[in-house]
Amino acid sequence: MAILIDQNTRMVIQGITGREAQMVVDHTLAYGTRIYAGVTPGKGGQNVLGVPVYDTVWEAVKKQNVNASLVVVPPAFALDAVLEAIDNGIKLIVVTTENIPQLDSVRMLYEARKKNVVIIGPNTVGIINPKDNVKMGSIGGDRPERCFVPGNVGVISRSGGMTAETSWMVKRAGFGVTTSVGIGGDSFIGSTIKDLLALFEEDEETKAVVTFSEPGTSFEEDAAQFLKEGGFTKPLISYVAGRFTESMPEGTVFGHAGAMISGNTGRPSLKMKALQDAGAHVIERYDDVISVLKTVLGERVGGVK
Amino acid sequence: MGRMLENASKKLLKENGIPAPNHWVIHKSDEIQALHLKKPCVLKALVPVGKRGKAGAIKFADSVQEAQEKTEELLKMTVRNYEVNRVLLEEKLEIAEEWYVSITIDPKKQMPVIIATTEGGVEVEDLVKEAPEKVVIYHVEPFSKLYSYQAKEIWSKLGVTGKPLIQATSVLCGLYDIFLKYDCYILEINPLVLTKDQQVMAAASVMGIDDSALFRQPELAGQVESGSERSWRPLTELEKAMVRVNDADYRGTARYTEMDGGSIGFMCGGGGGSLLSFDALTFLGAQPANYTETGGNPSEEKVYGLTKGILSKEGVKGLFVAHNITNNTQIDVMARGIVKAVQELGVNLDEFPIVVREAGVNDEEGKREFESAGITYYGEEVTIEQAAAEMVKKMEGVI
Repeated sequence: MAILIDQNTRMVIQGITGREAQMVVDHTLAYGTRIYAGVTPGKGGQNVLGVPVYDTVWEAVKKQNVNASLVVVPPAFALDAVLEAIDNGIKLIVVTTENIPQLDSVRMLYEARKKNVVIIGPNTVGIINPKDNVKMGSIGGDRPERCFVPGNVGVISRSGGMTAETSWMVKRAGFGVTTSVGIGGDSFIGSTIKDLLALFEEDEETKAVVTFSEPGTSFEEDAAQFLKEGGFTKPLISYVAGRFTESMPEGTVFGHAGAMISGNTGRPSLKMKALQDAGAHVIERYDDVISVLKTVLGERVGGVK
Repeated sequence: MGRMLENASKKLLKENGIPAPNHWVIHKSDEIQALHLKKPCVLKALVPVGKRGKAGAIKFADSVQEAQEKTEELLKMTVRNYEVNRVLLEEKLEIAEEWYVSITIDPKKQMPVIIATTEGGVEVEDLVKEAPEKVVIYHVEPFSKLYSYQAKEIWSKLGVTGKPLIQATSVLCGLYDIFLKYDCYILEINPLVLTKDQQVMAAASVMGIDDSALFRQPELAGQVESGSERSWRPLTELEKAMVRVNDADYRGTARYTEMDGGSIGFMCGGGGGSLLSFDALTFLGAQPANYTETGGNPSEEKVYGLTKGILSKEGVKGLFVAHNITNNTQIDVMARGIVKAVQELGVNLDEFPIVVREAGVNDEEGKREFESAGITYYGEEVTIEQAAAEMVKKMEGVI
């Protein structure tokens, strides 16, 4: 088991003929993930490494019965692409595009909420489920197995690069992941930490979750509240990067667009406290992921492999 | 995110039908003449920061001479690290009441939100907590415009009636149109003034534009300081040079922020990886001389230019290169750019420690590049924090 994607995922890539998408297609197929269709307006009838290209999502759904979309289009076209996917009944949309205008993001997320569609991103590296060799996005690059091996830990990261690094720390500790998710570096994203914790709670194979966080937003505070309400009962190991930013003048953004501190909102120290008070294992040093995982998981999965 | 200066935002407001006082931009005090002082005036430092009133950067004058004197004072000021080079001169309004209205996007509800009050001269954040009944918070459906009845309801709930209600309704609908039309992330009118002759006018405006949307706002070209919200002061010369390095090539990103002092050149990558690396160094008591963030598979030229810039800062006595395990950034390309800069500057590695922790795409080739240049290289077998500890240890020998 995993969350969000598995062997039943039938992926379409919107924007498949673009420069960005070519590499993703290449790496994804090499990993063993099947891509059922691509969509680029005006390029219907072509194929990319054997993947059939259609002009519309409607046609991709009709011909290939796709049920999940990876959006790899430039910022100016992202809103339209997501609305097209939603309108055609796609229930999982992974939006990789960076620098989407905020109003467009807000509109696509609003429409998705209304139609009960799960959005990962925007500005996400993607999702990976190593047990089924299924990935959506550039996650893992040319060698996904380097960082992502099957196991019992869920990984949620606000940073794309740190999704890989954190999953590698899990591997270094002697474990592997059920699913690793980069949730996207923007302020306005679809699925937040809390939403994914709810999915990991339901997933029997997931025995613990590791999160990598940054300054800005209230995702960690919301997750802490969710823990307090009993929504997530498995061990949660959390690291919040960027504590140095608290001593910088307010309004300064280091890292991703969402990493802005304003007043008390977004301060790493307050995020850490909220998570700690809610019962999470909040680690001071990132390397402690390894020892804490061994401690909390050692017994549950029958000792360190 | 980029702010607009008030003269530019006022001009846009007026062009879009929002009443606002007449204004002029003054560079030197002797530009002020009788025509500017037909009415008493307000003088404001023209800098891209808020809360200018508190900083003493807003003054009033009744005569040409007084206006010239106060302009002189303003032109000598520095407001929150911004030197005042220009002054905005405006007609002073005859104020009956001071109101407040802002339009932003609510991060929790992910919807545009209007915040309005008829209580003037207070911090609206405080008012929301202390007297929430005096504030209306109104969310707008993201695909919709603001309808007249919605704007009317907002003001009516705040007790506005009669002619001012009609005026305020039209002004708020106009402001909301502007917010959408120009891809604002903030549009704040504080104060929104009800004049003694019952006009509703925008006395002061703050307008911030989403720089991700500038591609569809050609009209605003040159008026928005792109990325101005990323910094707490104007860009330094070195930072400007690094922006040029980044802009010269579309491949990958290179951001550079200069710190006060510091001894370790910081050449790190990944949004999260850079934060972690910086925390790791400061946790051990070390002082990075800058903050950097590269990623998205930058070209060799970009990495070279960035590294050269980092090493050019005075007081830099070592270089820390770290990255999260990369998904698409090519380590061999990074290595060639860094090695080229280091060798060109003739860095003596016995006196100038360099520690590299780079793993990911093409890292075997990258390792060869670094090691053949005599640079200490670690791959994924060492964590970022372990590499940072090694860096700090090596620095002990040179500071």
